[in-house]
Amino acid sequence: MEEFSFANQLFQYLITGLTVGSVYAMVAIGFNIIYNVTEIINLAQGEFVMLGGLIMVFLHAVAGLPLILAFPITVILVTLVGMLLDRLAIRPIRQPSVLTLIIATIAASIIIKGTAMFIWGKDPFDLPAFSGRTPINFLGAVIQPQYFWVIGFLIVTVILLTLFFEKTIIGKAMSACADNPDAASLMGINVKWMILLSFSLSAAIGAVAGITVTPISLMEYDRGAMLAIKGFGAVVLGGLGSFPGAILGGLILGTIESFGAGLISSGYKDAFALIVLLAVLFFRPSGLLGSVEISKIKRF
Amino acid sequence: MLKIENLKAFYDSIPALKGVSIEVPQGKVVSIIGANGAGKSTLLKSISGLMKSKEGGILYKDQDISALPANKIVSLGISQVPEGRQIFGHLSVQDNINLGAYLYFKRRNRSEIEKRTERVYRLFPILKKRTKQVAGTLSGGEQQMLAIARALMGRPELILLDEPSMGLAPLIVREIFSVINQLNQTGTTILLVEQNAKAALNVAHHAFVLETGEIVLEGLAGELLDNPKVKEAYLGG
Repeated sequence: MEEFSFANQLFQYLITGLTVGSVYAMVAIGFNIIYNVTEIINLAQGEFVMLGGLIMVFLHAVAGLPLILAFPITVILVTLVGMLLDRLAIRPIRQPSVLTLIIATIAASIIIKGTAMFIWGKDPFDLPAFSGRTPINFLGAVIQPQYFWVIGFLIVTVILLTLFFEKTIIGKAMSACADNPDAASLMGINVKWMILLSFSLSAAIGAVAGITVTPISLMEYDRGAMLAIKGFGAVVLGGLGSFPGAILGGLILGTIESFGAGLISSGYKDAFALIVLLAVLFFRPSGLLGSVEISKIKRF
Repeated sequence: MLKIENLKAFYDSIPALKGVSIEVPQGKVVSIIGANGAGKSTLLKSISGLMKSKEGGILYKDQDISALPANKIVSLGISQVPEGRQIFGHLSVQDNINLGAYLYFKRRNRSEIEKRTERVYRLFPILKKRTKQVAGTLSGGEQQMLAIARALMGRPELILLDEPSMGLAPLIVREIFSVINQLNQTGTTILLVEQNAKAALNVAHHAFVLETGEIVLEGLAGELLDNPKVKEAYLGG
């Protein structure tokens, strides 16, 4: 029998933490995309992850579609939900204040959660791992192959988003809407369309997170709220609106949670994220990578 | 080119414009002068589509544009340089300029975009040295130049300028007004709104005086410069 040293165990916690953290990071990126264009904190962000997982279970495990088909179809379906969220909950509100819109996203998240319970029931669902469940032994840690998928998809998402926001005129136009919507419309940018696009992108990223994490942690109808809180913790930790901050925040939060659960008690797993969230709000409200100047002019 | 008939605009139910009629002929510079709160900016915002609660006719090349949203109005060839510059502070100077060309920013228009970019950099050489700089870190004068440059990228035939001299040093004001003059000489029609009445009247062909939402005086710019009422109220006696 192999011997597990304390160092091996710590390494195991680190890998697990980074994997969970990758999911938080993806939720956090979703928050930031919508926030950056609209100043709205979309509290239905976690529901996109939940829907991604459950729709994937339905298409892949129940309906028997191959992975390579079920994956994009799931992403498209969740993206449609994101678009509906904008069209039905956000756009119809007349003379919106940011706070009203945030409340609308809470209402939407309750409706999505309820509908999911109605369709799938209250039981958690499993999804076959993408490349089997034979664990890999690496430096004494036992790693599920699915971990690599989760981290890999985070990396791909980040690269694609960076290219989109840095290199394309539509990406720049989205940033312009965030900066000054009136001036953006004077450039001919259709601000409403950009908001729709931000909801679509966030939903798609949420779906990817849900699909890749379900084989590890299963998925049930009410997982969204906790994921949203963790993702929001990551956003605040990294600095609201900052993409590198979202990734850093997510990974740190996942790692703290994993070490906390392993070394102190797994019962307090969820509490660690909230403690970090509160600590950041007390000591550095602008986040690790957020600019202090910008956080002063932010309304939230 | 632009004809405004009996335009009324409201903030909630408070009227900001009480039936304004003006005309901007093609190829001319028309100035609107007036004090703070006279409704100058509201008038420009009504034309560009940012101001939505309004009544009356806004005819551009005989087409009524009063019901169109701002992003459609730009595509017709009306660019606004908003009050207080309103550049995209978090983006680079080059990004700001590229976004000015947003409506036709496609690979097949690349040579046109490059030509226009060259042109605005020739008008404002200082911006060319700052292409990679984040726009929010520019000085006030540079930001105003960037706002004008960005508007020029939108293929405008009519430019609406809102207080381009606001908060700027006299030397910079002179530079900006000389650019306005140059733009007009190359065929761009300009509607200018200003508190700096002297500069505005010097550059204009025709001018209007706006007071509490109403046009109280209009005429050739040269005549208004000599008008005793204008002298007393706007030119410092």
